[in-house]
Amino acid sequence: MPDNAVYYHAAYGVAALIYILYSLRLALKRRELRSRQPRSEP
Amino acid sequence: MKPTALSLAAIAAVIVTYIRAIFFTPLEATQGPAQKILYVHAPAAWVAFMAFGLVGLTSLIYLWLKDERLDRIAESSAEVGVVFTTVVLITGPLWGKPIWGAYWTWDARLTLTLFLWFIYVAYIVLRGAVEEKEMRARYSAVLGILGALLVPFIHLSVYLFRTLHPRPILMKPSAPSLPEAMLVTLLLAFASFTLLYTALLRARYRYAVERDNGQNDGMTHAG
Repeated sequence: MPDNAVYYHAAYGVAALIYILYSLRLALKRRELRSRQPRSEP
Repeated sequence: MKPTALSLAAIAAVIVTYIRAIFFTPLEATQGPAQKILYVHAPAAWVAFMAFGLVGLTSLIYLWLKDERLDRIAESSAEVGVVFTTVVLITGPLWGKPIWGAYWTWDARLTLTLFLWFIYVAYIVLRGAVEEKEMRARYSAVLGILGALLVPFIHLSVYLFRTLHPRPILMKPSAPSLPEAMLVTLLLAFASFTLLYTALLRARYRYAVERDNGQNDGMTHAG
């Protein structure tokens, strides 16, 4: 059996990293948007 | 910002899929460990095609009804689709190198998928470039529909052309060509990636709603 585990480790790692980075980007964009929006006065 | 129940369920499902794929799914005899790339590559491709299919459908209905919610769904699905296509375009070459001996080959399936990625990156750039709301929605709807037309060609490209890329093992008229343990992992991966797509789409849609509400408030204050 060929020893090519490094490729599948790399693929799993890169895929997880992309999803994590995109989720973080979305969360940061929403936080930035909320901080820019005017707050309603009490 | 608190994570929603849907996003927590999606994260848990993807983690379970990874654990099952890594520790509880047998190795394929000829390809070895690299074959396990299947469990991230194929579901990401399925989700990307579904995402762009939704862009095409909602864009088409938008041109008819002019409902801005449909434009927001298309915008959100296109962006999430680009993320999943990026995963496909990175994991594919990582699988190709040990099996074909090359990271990339200009065969029909790979080339068309790269074109699809370019089309939806252009879609995102177009949305950023046009300021007028209705014009932006109309132009991007047309591009979104044209891009979605590529999806069935990409799926059928392995039948229409001589390609290095293998034919579908699941999305085909006959029974799946995988042993049961591998098939269960693959089906779990399809389900968990679909859940992840739904969670990301929802989060991206909610961002678009808040952004548009903020712009409308700004216009009201300015007026």
